[in-house]
Amino acid sequence: MDIFLQLLISGILLGGVYVLVSIGLTLVFGVMKIVNFAHGDFLMLGMFGAFFLYQLFGLNPYLSLLIVTPALFILGLIIYKTIVGRTISRPHVVQIFSFIGLSVAFQNMALVLFSADFRSINHPVSTKVIHMGPIHISFPSFIAFIVAGIITILLFIFLYYTYTGKAIRAAAQDRFAATLMGVSIQKIYALTFGIGIGILGIAGSLMVPIYSVYPTVGEQFVLIAFVVVVLGGLGSLPGAVVGGLLIGLIETMSSYFIAPSMKQLVYFCVFILILILRPNGLFGKEGAAEEALE
Amino acid sequence: MMQRLVNSKGKRNGLVGILLLLVLPLLFQDQAFILDTMILMALWGFVACSWNIVGGYGGLLSLGHAAFFGIGAYTSTILFVDYWVSPWIGMIVGALLAGLFGLFIGIVTLRLHGPFFSLCTIAVTEVLMIIAINWQEVTHGSAGIPVPYRPGFINMVFDNRVTYFYLALGLLAIVYFLSLWLNRSHFGYYLVGLRENEQAALALGINGVKVRLIAMTISSALTAVGGTFYAQYVGIVEPFHEFSFHLSAQIALMAIIGGIGTAGGPIFGAILITLLGTLLRATLGGAHGGIQALVYGLLLVIVVLFIPQGIVPWFKQVVAKRKKGVVHV
Repeated sequence: MDIFLQLLISGILLGGVYVLVSIGLTLVFGVMKIVNFAHGDFLMLGMFGAFFLYQLFGLNPYLSLLIVTPALFILGLIIYKTIVGRTISRPHVVQIFSFIGLSVAFQNMALVLFSADFRSINHPVSTKVIHMGPIHISFPSFIAFIVAGIITILLFIFLYYTYTGKAIRAAAQDRFAATLMGVSIQKIYALTFGIGIGILGIAGSLMVPIYSVYPTVGEQFVLIAFVVVVLGGLGSLPGAVVGGLLIGLIETMSSYFIAPSMKQLVYFCVFILILILRPNGLFGKEGAAEEALE
Repeated sequence: MMQRLVNSKGKRNGLVGILLLLVLPLLFQDQAFILDTMILMALWGFVACSWNIVGGYGGLLSLGHAAFFGIGAYTSTILFVDYWVSPWIGMIVGALLAGLFGLFIGIVTLRLHGPFFSLCTIAVTEVLMIIAINWQEVTHGSAGIPVPYRPGFINMVFDNRVTYFYLALGLLAIVYFLSLWLNRSHFGYYLVGLRENEQAALALGINGVKVRLIAMTISSALTAVGGTFYAQYVGIVEPFHEFSFHLSAQIALMAIIGGIGTAGGPIFGAILITLLGTLLRATLGGAHGGIQALVYGLLLVIVVLFIPQGIVPWFKQVVAKRKKGVVHV
């Protein structure tokens, strides 16, 4: 029973990290109807940012998110202005492969600049464990989970109670009607993309104490993010939260009950089944998958 | 009259080109580096053209062709190493298996379009990679399988690179003529029709399911042949390359940079990317292996943003425009 409780808690904490990694992806898809295939590489940049701020200046990773997040937000705006903005309403091949190109470029830029070494920070926080009776909770995972919760709530408040947030949702529902109501679509899209990438700055900073950083680290996480958002329903924020927690649980449970090497197999099979049987996911709007067709 | 003239000129150019291709490797017989580049150009041209059947003509943007490539490479190598079956037979078995697998993927993804289809193909490839790593009794696990070096026709291992080149060139010719056939056959028109406007194509009575599945099967089977050739040429199969997302992306980006949905585009793309890789490696050395991929990532972004039809069709348009201008003057 203790084991089960331990797995449950570890799974939910892991799920918190996955929520944080996935929420920007689903936000960008929900609003702009594009799948950011380079999502993981922005995360990689965020992680490297936090890593070097610690390594070079001794900055606590939890403080470095105050620098990394705005930096990634601005990077997101720049990438939107130069690349992503030009792909809106264009054929799939343009939308998908501009991101693939970007992803290849980012990964290899990191490879050239930072080499392929696995790097992890040597901070006391990385190995700190909270003991609660028979349950052990990894401190950095716990922090990541709490922050993931806060960020998600803040994002909801922003989207539902501020004027800009409402404009973002309006643009997501109907691009043309929103334009007619005086919403500047280009600005809203740029902002959304910036936010979607900026959240990865938070995620990256929180993950640096837990995971090693290397140029292709994003590939591993972007695949999980795809699984999470497709499971929850591409474009649905509550879907990303539920999907993230579910995948965290599935991963933890399957690595204990089946085999650690098989955990990925399990969630990829879940992913493929969801794509095939219910491409709109658990919480996706009816026809979300078809909408992407246009 | 004009048309025939152009055609016969085109034919003559074509013949000269073929002769050149056949003689060229003999000139570089001793220069392994150049021959190696030429072999890889032909091989990647072949694989990119195979991708192009489903990704270019069919508009189904697969990011999982490494799956079929890997099935081809693994099938022939396992049969060769563990059961002493000639790779020629292994190549056919691999193509059949990959074709069946492609058919299966085609059936389960019939309802998926655009990025959803791409995502599903990525996931399928990841699953195969995990299987290849973990099913050690059959796949030899993450270490991969070296192909024993026993030169001989029956083993499809040659001590002379020129033979590999002719073999790759032969494969390339097959898929090139298949693409030319697609350009002017009913089947090709159906495929393009489904890509351009599925609703309209279905309304005209095209059997969308059948066309899509045939394209998937052919494309997968051909890609597997490329996998077998690669395994025999390089001499090792390993899961982290054969089933990698990078390989899938590389196959697709060659076709896209060259020009999707055309016969010659993917070949040009493969030549360009391979050349770029080799030149950058030669000038920068192995230490900066990332730079070549950095360059072709950026190249891909620039091409899809500004000349999404690809370099070859774009170049043709530019030439046509210029010619027109001359006539007017």
